[in-house]
Amino acid sequence: MTIAKPDKRAIFRNKVKTWFSRPQNIILLLFGIVLTFSTVAPIVAIIKDTFQIHPGTIDQHLTGKVSGYSIVNYTDLFTSKLAQKNLWTPLVNTIFLSVLTCAISILFGGLFAFLVTRTDMKYKRYLSSIFIFPYIMPQWTLAVVWQHMFYSNKVTGTADGLIASIFNVHFPNWWCQGLFPSAMVLGLHYAPFAYILIGGIFKNMDANLEEAATILDTPKWKIMFKVTLPMIKPAILSTILLVFGSAMGSYPVPHYLNLTTLSTKYISMNSKYTGEASIIAIIMMIFGVLILGLNQMSLKSRKNYTTVTGKSGQLTKLRIGKIGKYAVGIVFIVITFFTSIWPIILFALETFLPNPGDYSFLYTGNFAHLTTKWWLTNENVTENGMYGQSGILYNDTIWHAFFGTLMLAVACALIAGTIGTLIGYAVSKNRRSKWANYVNNVAFLPYLMPSIAVGAAFFILFSNEHINLFNTYTLLIIAGVVKYIPFASRSSLNSMLQISSELEEAAVIQNTSWIKRMVRIIIPIQKSSIISGYLLPFMTCLRELSLFLLLCTQGFILSTTLDYFDEMGLYAFSSAINLILIVTILVFNTLVNKLTGASLDSGIGGK
Amino acid sequence: MKKRLLATVLVLAMAIGMLAGCGEKKDSKPKGEESAIDKIIKEAQGMSMEQLAKKAIEESNGKTFYGVGNSSRGKSALPKFIEYLQSIDANYKMEFEWQQPKNNKIFEQLTSDSLKSQGTFAMTLIQDGNQIQTKMVDTGILKTFIPKEWAVANALTPDKYEGFLPLQTLNKVFMFNSTGTSQYNNCWDFVYEGNHPLFMGVDSEIVGKNFLMMLTQDKYAGWLKAAYDKLDATKKAYFEPIIKSLQSDAQDLGLGANGAYALAWIKLWVNNYNEQTDDGPICNILVDTSAKDQSGLLVYSKLRSVKESANVSVNNIKVAAYQDGYAGIGGYGYCHYLFVTKNSPLPWTACAFIAYMTCTESGFEAWGKDMGGYSSNPAVAQEIEDTFHHSTAGGTEFPAKNDRGYKWWTDEGKGELVLEDPKYCSEVSFTVGSWIDVLDHYKAE
Repeated sequence: MTIAKPDKRAIFRNKVKTWFSRPQNIILLLFGIVLTFSTVAPIVAIIKDTFQIHPGTIDQHLTGKVSGYSIVNYTDLFTSKLAQKNLWTPLVNTIFLSVLTCAISILFGGLFAFLVTRTDMKYKRYLSSIFIFPYIMPQWTLAVVWQHMFYSNKVTGTADGLIASIFNVHFPNWWCQGLFPSAMVLGLHYAPFAYILIGGIFKNMDANLEEAATILDTPKWKIMFKVTLPMIKPAILSTILLVFGSAMGSYPVPHYLNLTTLSTKYISMNSKYTGEASIIAIIMMIFGVLILGLNQMSLKSRKNYTTVTGKSGQLTKLRIGKIGKYAVGIVFIVITFFTSIWPIILFALETFLPNPGDYSFLYTGNFAHLTTKWWLTNENVTENGMYGQSGILYNDTIWHAFFGTLMLAVACALIAGTIGTLIGYAVSKNRRSKWANYVNNVAFLPYLMPSIAVGAAFFILFSNEHINLFNTYTLLIIAGVVKYIPFASRSSLNSMLQISSELEEAAVIQNTSWIKRMVRIIIPIQKSSIISGYLLPFMTCLRELSLFLLLCTQGFILSTTLDYFDEMGLYAFSSAINLILIVTILVFNTLVNKLTGASLDSGIGGK
Repeated sequence: MKKRLLATVLVLAMAIGMLAGCGEKKDSKPKGEESAIDKIIKEAQGMSMEQLAKKAIEESNGKTFYGVGNSSRGKSALPKFIEYLQSIDANYKMEFEWQQPKNNKIFEQLTSDSLKSQGTFAMTLIQDGNQIQTKMVDTGILKTFIPKEWAVANALTPDKYEGFLPLQTLNKVFMFNSTGTSQYNNCWDFVYEGNHPLFMGVDSEIVGKNFLMMLTQDKYAGWLKAAYDKLDATKKAYFEPIIKSLQSDAQDLGLGANGAYALAWIKLWVNNYNEQTDDGPICNILVDTSAKDQSGLLVYSKLRSVKESANVSVNNIKVAAYQDGYAGIGGYGYCHYLFVTKNSPLPWTACAFIAYMTCTESGFEAWGKDMGGYSSNPAVAQEIEDTFHHSTAGGTEFPAKNDRGYKWWTDEGKGELVLEDPKYCSEVSFTVGSWIDVLDHYKAE
């Protein structure tokens, strides 16, 4: 009897067949390749740009050539007498800004999360929904509000802001311009991140450990520092991960509040020092890679991402006293009034003022000066005190941008949400595979890279003789999807890791198809997390500026239109756009909430 | 390990792909040989407006016209142009799209569009003579077309004219809030001790830097010297050491006899101006009663839309150069230039549109309806003044809004506007320009 030789080809074919029979493998292979290209190609393009000679710029002057390649951009940026001004000072400012922003958002968002989830503070539902408003608003609009509130002739050499006009109080310059206000504005803007992430852990945290410490008569401060804080460390790290890169890549806030950062330098140097500006973008990207590396190290140390929580149902709430629970609630109502409600009131008022920023009716009590012209003027030929613009209701630029933005946000949310969810699913299934780990990281990397640098890279990549996608929705969708996949992939991965594989295996035994398993089992179980993976890209995309700034013209989408009006000082239009954005996001959030039961703050303090 | 290898190979393959073919591009066309666009421009320069219009109708009927510009008003001028073409051929139809890029992107946009065999943009309306010269004209990306009627109105011959074609000159002028006690009777007052005029940063709007570079040209340095001579002894004593300390820099930079005066003014300006995001906010600030004694350098036309209220009034400001006895420069002027792209998909239509904007009142109306923008065509400028009466628009109630016109603004001893010269700017961009780059900027304390 002869034993047949094993057919190596058949074995190989079988292996391949088996490998491809697992949907998670196909997902990982496909998106691994696509995301490698979408992440690496822009980086390669921008690296190439740092060596390229650009006509009419410093590299042409220094090399005496109009084309070709040189390292002169590197030597000039790092060694010329402008190095301090163009590189080192902005770099230091950027690092301080990012660190301070992280600290403010974690302290403010974390404290609020603690109060909402772990104490018997009153008015939680209201506070929880109002707390996320600064994240809904474009970040620089808070900077403009800051200017309107605190600027004064005496300190900033401008007209008096509201506080100087009404109370004759003049805030010092460090409060009005530079690092502090920039970090405050960004910190308030990103505090909802900290609230959602840290709140999620507080909410699900096993209280047994704290109770055990209490029984052992451990002082409260010790419980906080030795038990509670270490448990929320993963959420704090996640917040740092998300906020650091975002703050670093923020262009408009430091721009409006007069702080020189790498982002503002990138824009200001781009005309004459084009190649050197690209090096600055690369430096910002390196920070993104470093943060990813740090995250990897911390992942290794705790073998998981943010879900270190047990699932105790015995969550005891700290009693902060009969008066305390009302007093703390009221304090937060006042604080959130100024961070969330007051800007909206100012936006609404601004659209009825006779001149941009002219609040004189408040001091004189003469309401006759208020006007509806910013809304109702239906032509731009006659001089109506409108700086050549039609009223908001008749302004084609605003409405064209609004519908374009809506389409863009829906497309980005659907594509990024779906891809992210699939990646999260596939990675959770193959969590020990290095390729899965690579796909997970390469999907997350663009989020850690500053938006302005990602935008610059995509502009360079898609503006050449073969393909020119500048000012097209296609380019914005590509950039948006690549940038926002992490929202969905992270929330999907975290939630998928919580699902026991037995559930799906049972369905596999029943010969249930993959699509059916997803639609009937996986998605319904983690509906809330998956929907937030769609909602966050949608909301972020609606008011994203730094990423899209370099990719389209001024009136193409709402955020660039809003920024244009803010820069021009036409605050009535920018305020109206802000109101439109806030209403749109709230309508969509409510709709999703009604239809699916999920919302951004669901599971923490919201419904 | 294999997967890591595969990923590395993929990345390298893409990187190589990206860099492939990145060598210097060689132009297949021999030097001196005219391109198709050059030939069309040459022919178009000999044609009347009506002849051009007929060519445009023939070329673009039923098509889409793409324009790109620094001014949003190209979008308002295009429908009027189409109406004009329809007055010649009632069946004519053309769709259009006008783009206005941000943050200097117009140059990158035009550069990348120029790489295609046929571009998207038919023409452009663009500012910043310095970058236009070095990035667009020296590289052959943009082509100048001189309309016949425009040349006649300016007593020029199209094929002998060497500059760019300006649609209009815009002026940025010194203004100050006059509700306080400060006086600004000399352009040196704006850089005197303790003053921090509001101004768009030289890095965010490059025409502002061009203005500073232009000050070093002999003519304007001479104007600064003349204004300096009219200062009182106290102020001279403040400025003199600074001027003396910059004599050697002026020599090193190859400037003329009064170069140090220009450098001193520039240095003090950069060291002291209070940077704002745009001229709009500067205007909003200056017309407010609370901005006592503040000053600024901003687009004159911003005054047109100010509404009177309890705190805000046009009469809260004064245009420095309009004061009796004011000495020195009153501001600066920069142009919006018109060009046909080297690979224009609709070159005849582009030429016709350019001729329409520069040679007819209705073509220039989108800009001409407001004060502070002066058509480069004297005949059109006069028609605009006859229609809109900018010189008397403010009446006696708002004298600051009575625009004294291009001639007054640019004359020595009157408005003394510093006019941008693209060639000069590009020549000194990395001498004087780099000298400006290293100056410290003002930060409030």
